Amino acid sequence: MLRLEHLRKTYGSLVAVDDVSLEVRKGEVFGLLGPNGAGKSTTIGMCVGLVSPDSGSVEIGGVGAPTTDAVRRHLGVAPQALAIYDDLTGAENLSLFGRLYGLGGRDLSDRVHRALDLVGLMPRASDRAGKYSGGMKRRLNLAAALVHDPPLLLLDEPTAGVDPQSRNNILDTVRDLARAGRTIIYTTHYMEEAQRLCDRVGIIDKGRLLCVGVVDDLVRAHGGKSVVRVERAGKHERVETDDPLREIATVLAHVGPDGPATGVHIERPDLESVFLSLTGRSLRD
Amino acid sequence: MGVLADIRATFAIAWTDVRLLLRDRAAAFFTFVFPIIFAMFFGFMFGGGGGERGKIEIAVVQLDQGPAATAFIEDLKKTGEISVKMVPTAEEAEAMVRKGEVIASIVLPSTFQKDFDNLLSTGKGPKLEGFVDPSRKAEAGLLEGRLNELAFRTMGKSFSDPAKMKQNLAKVKESIAKASDIDNSRKILLGAALQNMDSILDDNQKQAAAGKSDALSDPMANFRPVQVDLKELTRKRVGPTNSFEVSLPQGIVWGLMGCVTAFVSTLAHDRQRGTLVRLLSAPVSRWQVVGGKALAGFISCMLVQWVLIGLFAAVFNVKLTNPPMLLIATLASAFAFVGVMMFLSVIGRSGEGSAGFGRSVILVMAMIGGGTIPIFFMPKFMQTVSSASPFKWAVLAIEGALWRGFTPAEMMYPLLVLCGIGVVGFVLGVMMFRRAMKT
Repeated sequence: MLRLEHLRKTYGSLVAVDDVSLEVRKGEVFGLLGPNGAGKSTTIGMCVGLVSPDSGSVEIGGVGAPTTDAVRRHLGVAPQALAIYDDLTGAENLSLFGRLYGLGGRDLSDRVHRALDLVGLMPRASDRAGKYSGGMKRRLNLAAALVHDPPLLLLDEPTAGVDPQSRNNILDTVRDLARAGRTIIYTTHYMEEAQRLCDRVGIIDKGRLLCVGVVDDLVRAHGGKSVVRVERAGKHERVETDDPLREIATVLAHVGPDGPATGVHIERPDLESVFLSLTGRSLRD
Repeated sequence: MGVLADIRATFAIAWTDVRLLLRDRAAAFFTFVFPIIFAMFFGFMFGGGGGERGKIEIAVVQLDQGPAATAFIEDLKKTGEISVKMVPTAEEAEAMVRKGEVIASIVLPSTFQKDFDNLLSTGKGPKLEGFVDPSRKAEAGLLEGRLNELAFRTMGKSFSDPAKMKQNLAKVKESIAKASDIDNSRKILLGAALQNMDSILDDNQKQAAAGKSDALSDPMANFRPVQVDLKELTRKRVGPTNSFEVSLPQGIVWGLMGCVTAFVSTLAHDRQRGTLVRLLSAPVSRWQVVGGKALAGFISCMLVQWVLIGLFAAVFNVKLTNPPMLLIATLASAFAFVGVMMFLSVIGRSGEGSAGFGRSVILVMAMIGGGTIPIFFMPKFMQTVSSASPFKWAVLAIEGALWRGFTPAEMMYPLLVLCGIGVVGFVLGVMMFRRAMKT
C-alpha cells in the first residue's frame, strides 16, 4: 500500500530522515515509534507530498507519488498539530475538508455525520471547535482525516496531550478502522499504544530506521531476557531468564535460608527495552 | 477532479476565510511600531524638516501673449504657494482638474491685454475663467484672492508708467468724445474731470516721490482688476451633489484597509495552527489555496465597498451617475488591495507577527495615500511618495466614476496603476509563499 525507498531529507546540516526504506502492507496498522525529533513527522510529510525528499521515493497503492491530486485522494492525514478551525463548528470543519476532496451535497452531509459519529462527536456537531476540550479537538482532527473515506490513513501522534477517555476513544476508533480494512500508519512515542494497536512497528531515531517487524519478534530479537524479581524476608533477588514461568515455579518450590518467597514479579521485555537496547537511551529521553 | 470541482474547492477555502472573518470579534490591537511611524510621519508633516511645503497646483492657459498677460503669469509663478503648469488649451486644463492633477484651471483670454488696457475706460478688467476641484474649495478661495492681488500688482506697474497712464487717459477722453449717448454739457464736465485726474496723478506722483502715501489707494479698496470666475468642475457635469460624494471614496478605502488588515494574518494563522498542512495535503494545488484566500479577500473588499456605496446612496442621496464605471473602479481597487494583502500575508511567520506588520504597513500606506491627511497638504516629496500607495489611486478611480466624470480613457490610468499593484503584490506573494513552503 505504501512503499518508501531510501528516503532522505536534510535541513541545512541537520539530517531529518536518513535512508529510510519500508513497506506498509494493505490493511495493516504500522507503527512508527520514536522519540520527539526522531524524524517521524518529516517522514509523514514526505508520505503525503508536503515535504520534498532530497532523494528516494514514495509510492502509494501502486498508483504513484503523492504529488498528484489523484494520489492524494487516497490519503487521509491527521497532523500532529490540531489542524482544525476553532471558529467553525465540528460539522463545518468536516464539510470544508470534505469539499476539498470533491465531496458535496447529500453525500458530503452523510459522510460528515458518519465521521462525527465514529469519533463520538455527533452530539457536539453544531458547537464551535474552539469550545471543545483538548481530547475532543483531537477526535475532530482524526475525523477530518476520515471524512472522505480514504484507504490509507496517516495519523501523526493522534493522542498527543489528550485525557485517558479521549485516548481510549481514539485508540478504539483506530482499531475499528483497521478492522474495516483501512491501512494505517501511526506515529507515536508511546510504546503502549504501539504495542496495543500495531501489527508491525518500525523504530526510528535520529532520522534512521533502526528496525522493522512484528512487536513480539522485535522484543524477542532486541528486548533481552525477562526479569523475575523475588522478595524473601524483605530481601530482593533479580533473576534474568528466557522462561519466566519456569523460573517462578522453581522459586516458589524452593525454600531458602530466609524462608519462602513472599513476593514474585515478572518484568517482560517490551518496545522500551528494544529501543534502549538499540540506542542506549530511553524513548522518553 | 474536474475544473468545476477545483472551483468548488477554491470557493470552499474562500468561504471559510470569509466566515472566519465574520466570526472574529477580537479587538484589533496595534504593535509598538505603528506609533513610532505615526509620530515620524507627523514630525515630517509639521516639523518643517521635510523640505518644500506643498503648493496649490493650477493649470494656466495663456491665449494672449501680450506683456500684461505674461507679467501676470510671471508674478503668479513667483508666489510661494502657487505652482503653475502651463498648458496649451482650456480643454487640457479642464481635464487636468478632472483627473485631480491640479486643483484649478485658469484661462487668460485672448482679449486680456485689450481688456486690461481698457480697464479705466470700461470699468471691467479681463475675465479669468476656469474650473476648480470641488473637493478643494478652501484652496479655491485662496487662489481667487491671490489672482486679484496679482492683478493689482500688474495694474500698479501700469500706473507707475506715466506714458502708459497718459495713453490710457487719452483713450478714455477719446471714447467720451465719440460717445453718442452723452450730451455735450456732460462731455465738458467729464473732460474737466479727466483733466483734474491728470493733475491728481501728477500730484500723486510728486507725493510718492516725496515718500507720502498713494492718495488713490483708498478709493480703490473694493476695486477688482480681474474678474475671476472659477466654476466647480463637476457641477457642470455630473456631481458631486453633496459633500458625502466627496467623503464616500475616503470611507471606502478605509473599509478596504479594514479588509486587508483582517485577512493579512490568515495564511500565517493557517500555518501556525496546522490547517495549512491539511489544506496542502488535500488534492488541491498551492495556487488554489492561495487563490482561495485571495478570493476571500476580494469578496470581502467588494462587499465592504458596495455596502458603503449602497448606504450612502440610500441614506445620503449620493448619486450613482455611472454604475458600470463605478463597478470597474471598485473591482480594480479590490484587486489592488488583495494584491497588497497577498504580499503582506506571507511575510510574517506567526499570525500575530503578520497582523502587526500588516496593520503597520497598511496604516502607513493610508497616511501617505491621503487616507488621513489630504495629499495637497503634504510636503512635495511626500506627494511624490504617495503615488506608491493604492489608497491614492483607489480614491481617484472611485471619485472618477462617482463625480469627476472621467471618460473611459481618463479612467485607464488609475485603473492600470491599481491593477499593476494587484498583479505585483499577488505574484510576489505567491513566489514567497512557494519558497516558504519549500523550507
